[in-house]
Amino acid sequence: MASQRKIIHVDMDAFYASVEQRDNPQLRGRPVAVGSPRARGVVAAASYEARAFGVRSAMPSVTAMRRCPDLVFAPPRFDVYREVSRRIRAIFLDYTPLVEPLSLDEAYLDVTDNRKRIASATRIAEEIRARIREETRLTASAGVSYNKFLAKLASDQNKPNGLFVIPPDKGADFVAALPIGKFHGVGPATTKKMNALGIETGLDLRAKTLPFLQMHFGKAGGYYYGIARGVDDREVRPDRIRKSIGAEVTFAQDLFALDEAVAALAPIVTRVAAHCEGARITGRTVTVKVKYADFQQITRRSTSVAPIASRAALEAAARALLHPLFPSPKGVRLLGVTLSSLAPAGEAVDSQLSLGV
Amino acid sequence: MKVTIERAALLRALGHVHRVVERRTTIPILANVLIDASAGTLMLKATDLDLEITEKVSADIGQPSATTLPAHTLYDIVRKLPEGAQVSIEGSGEQGQLTLRSGRSRFNLQSLPESDFPDVTSGEFSHSFSLPPADLKKLILKTQFAISSEETRYYLNGIFLHVAEVEGHQLLRAVATDGHRLARVELPAPAGSAGMPGVILPRKAVNEILRLVEDAEGAVAIELSTNKMRFSFGETVLTTKLIDGTFPDYGRVIPANNDKRLTVERGVFREAVDRVSTISSERGRAVKLALSEGRLVLSVTNPDQGSAVEEIEADYDGPPIDIGFNSRYLLDIADQLDSDTALFRLADPGSPTLIQDRDGASALYVLMPMRV
Repeated sequence: MASQRKIIHVDMDAFYASVEQRDNPQLRGRPVAVGSPRARGVVAAASYEARAFGVRSAMPSVTAMRRCPDLVFAPPRFDVYREVSRRIRAIFLDYTPLVEPLSLDEAYLDVTDNRKRIASATRIAEEIRARIREETRLTASAGVSYNKFLAKLASDQNKPNGLFVIPPDKGADFVAALPIGKFHGVGPATTKKMNALGIETGLDLRAKTLPFLQMHFGKAGGYYYGIARGVDDREVRPDRIRKSIGAEVTFAQDLFALDEAVAALAPIVTRVAAHCEGARITGRTVTVKVKYADFQQITRRSTSVAPIASRAALEAAARALLHPLFPSPKGVRLLGVTLSSLAPAGEAVDSQLSLGV
Repeated sequence: MKVTIERAALLRALGHVHRVVERRTTIPILANVLIDASAGTLMLKATDLDLEITEKVSADIGQPSATTLPAHTLYDIVRKLPEGAQVSIEGSGEQGQLTLRSGRSRFNLQSLPESDFPDVTSGEFSHSFSLPPADLKKLILKTQFAISSEETRYYLNGIFLHVAEVEGHQLLRAVATDGHRLARVELPAPAGSAGMPGVILPRKAVNEILRLVEDAEGAVAIELSTNKMRFSFGETVLTTKLIDGTFPDYGRVIPANNDKRLTVERGVFREAVDRVSTISSERGRAVKLALSEGRLVLSVTNPDQGSAVEEIEADYDGPPIDIGFNSRYLLDIADQLDSDTALFRLADPGSPTLIQDRDGASALYVLMPMRV
């Protein structure tokens, strides 16, 4: 076995919402949603006060307001979030060059051989959290373990503003006790399917053989087999260049009608658009993925000459691709939207003028 | 059903119709081609619900009937049969199966009932006229490059055809624009077109018409109403739904008072643009045109790769001006011009430029600059 790695997963607490509460004292202690309250708006992030009412990110604003009538909406300020994210990343880089950002507010760090020669990953995680608090006046949660899967699980344990460590000898036990739905990579649909197969916890999952999992879950079966044993060999990759930005949702119930699908598309588009905006990236190719009830999967894509720079443009392109697929003879169990042919936003050297037709 | 037909005739007909069939359709009947055998004629028909192509070929009909077969599979089979072969298609004993025989080959194909095949193009036409194939080709070929692919502006995803009266002359005009450039081609309006509604011919129909017009021998009969249009090329008939939208008032963006005239040799200009744009690997990088008396300097700067400059002879006597254009757009337009000399009429670096053949007024291109 290779020498034991030390991985930290750092996750800012309710990032966008916390930034808004930090900068606007009137929002502190109140339920806050970052996003637009318009009829078709979607919540991009919710403060912990709002989460207590059941408000979640990617939820339609209308639903959020129904759950929490006192909800305060704050328009997103991506410039500020980016700036905070840059400062946090600078802190990470003081400790290790092996930083893999997942988004503006989340990153994996491999601190096995760190720049400060600190032997304890837990101490590094505590230092990082303290520095984030000091330099940004925001809180972060951290998970420490020996692989990415467990580190990410750990950071969720004592959220917000918490730290949790899963040492090597506790990894398998920790996973065994966990309900299956808590696993990263196991969404509501997979949970339902696993429950139907009698898998409720990590322990149940571990009892299944690799061929059994592969038969029922295909390629993902191998991943499930590994994580049930606390094994995850994925490396922390600082050089990861994103080729595409996408999101997808598997529905608890299959969709048949176009208007259902269009409604289901909105939160997916919001996630992709928020990520693009956060990372200051635009793209020209939109791909819509549809998985049917019989697991047949199709994709439809279109590429435009000009970058797709707004949520509305992304949604329009995705809808146009979806449209010809309905009415659908088969139930749709999953929808996904991906943006590719990426380019930095707002840095086009030349700008094409429009005729104004 | 029992039909016997020459492979060449069947292949030609399938070649015309099978492209309409979407390769990835979720509705099974749309993957099929309708085959209708009656009194000495085999009629083939394919549709994607927006566009339909039918073709009649003579065949030896043993037993009239109609059915549908997988279009691409059937085309591929016939394509691979040896030249000069005879093909027979007949219903086999099994439910829904047809047998295709040729020489020693035999294929059993699953059919779908003819009654499931959609009929989307029935109804009356309000106007009809005809055009020589060369005229139809000109209208479409010279404008299609400017069709927008932006699906959010669906009303630009086709060619706008309408009749306009200019100084007492009735003209049939084809116009396409993607918001950056515009192409307009006109012809004397053919008899019967007067009073026709303006219609937007969708891109897919445009592509198929261009293919069919290549094989056309006589005049093309055109019929239309507000929501559909039909082109009859002899025995091949294309019927398409039209884009249900309003084409913008494009006349506003065609400049009337551009006073700076530049003429260049079209071939020389095209090659120079192509050469200097090599330096920009990305599409859509600007070529800068620096005009001064008697000369034109083309340049491209790419911060990552370097720069390129080329000077060409030009007839220009206006004040010096620098203006940028998307190199791809310049090449597209240069490719559509017919004469050896291209005429540019410019105003300023932020306003639309007009590009035409030096003497030909029938085709006109408007190109919006890029900021450089």
